[in-house]
Amino acid sequence: MCHQTVSLAARHIEADGIPTVIMGCAKDIVEHCGVARFLFSDFPLGNSGGRPFDVESQTQTLELALRVLEGAPAARTTVQSPLRWSADAAWKLDYNDLSKLTPEQITERRKEFEMVKAVAKAKREGT
Amino acid sequence: MTTNVSGGKAVFAEEHDAPIPYMQRTRDYYQALGFSPYRWAHFADVPFAPLRVPLSRARIGLITTAAPFQPGVGDQGPGAAYNAAAKFYKVYSDASDAKPDLRISHVGYDRRHTSAEDINTYFPLDRLREAVTTGRIGSLAPRFHGSPTNRSHRVTMESDAPELLRRCREDRVDAVVLVPT
Repeated sequence: MCHQTVSLAARHIEADGIPTVIMGCAKDIVEHCGVARFLFSDFPLGNSGGRPFDVESQTQTLELALRVLEGAPAARTTVQSPLRWSADAAWKLDYNDLSKLTPEQITERRKEFEMVKAVAKAKREGT
Repeated sequence: MTTNVSGGKAVFAEEHDAPIPYMQRTRDYYQALGFSPYRWAHFADVPFAPLRVPLSRARIGLITTAAPFQPGVGDQGPGAAYNAAAKFYKVYSDASDAKPDLRISHVGYDRRHTSAEDINTYFPLDRLREAVTTGRIGSLAPRFHGSPTNRSHRVTMESDAPELLRRCREDRVDAVVLVPT
């Protein structure tokens, strides 16, 4: 949801004449929405700015985003960071992986999601 | 990790070593849980505004989806479970020369592979300040802005995005860096 939100915001800001660049980790969501400039890091969600406690990787990630901001020749410019999260790509299989869930766990997850929605609704209506 | 093709010269990466198809995974996941599929925002036309000043003279704005820490609404620390009570529903702004305490327990980041212990991984304010110091960018806007993450496209497009634009205009920024979680 975060990636879709900033994509919609970037489009709105860009349409008013201010250039934007998104630093993000969900390539399909940003590109499906369609934005001017995107620096994609193939990292788990939550690491758009680079690796934890690795200033060099964070500096390199921001520098790439700034270069995209300067150099994009047209809309829908995506640059993928050359940084790797780990040598083994197995982490990519885990996100919302249904194959590892039993029917009981699926029922449990559904209950949890209903609960989370109710909490968010109460909060939304209270603000 | 790569795979050798027996007898051939080609060495390919593993099939799954590609960007995660989040829209498909999310669709399949919530369908299995019994919810109707979410319609992701999609446009054929994409606006493009050229950068009109060199970055070394540009004033840069920052937009985040992270949330200010809220005492009393449960665990928002590293590794906390999804915490809907920590969500926010209005655009907020804070001084970019402060040290804000921003958390991401209110959104669906990768809790298995990300600890969220280092704010710089989702909020690159320190790195942007360094870019000002080195002269890579001219300056930072006096404020950064926080965007609510709403399932409703309409709320984002008709309410939050215009408010973010209004604040960026007030700050007279030359360009904006947006960082989702």
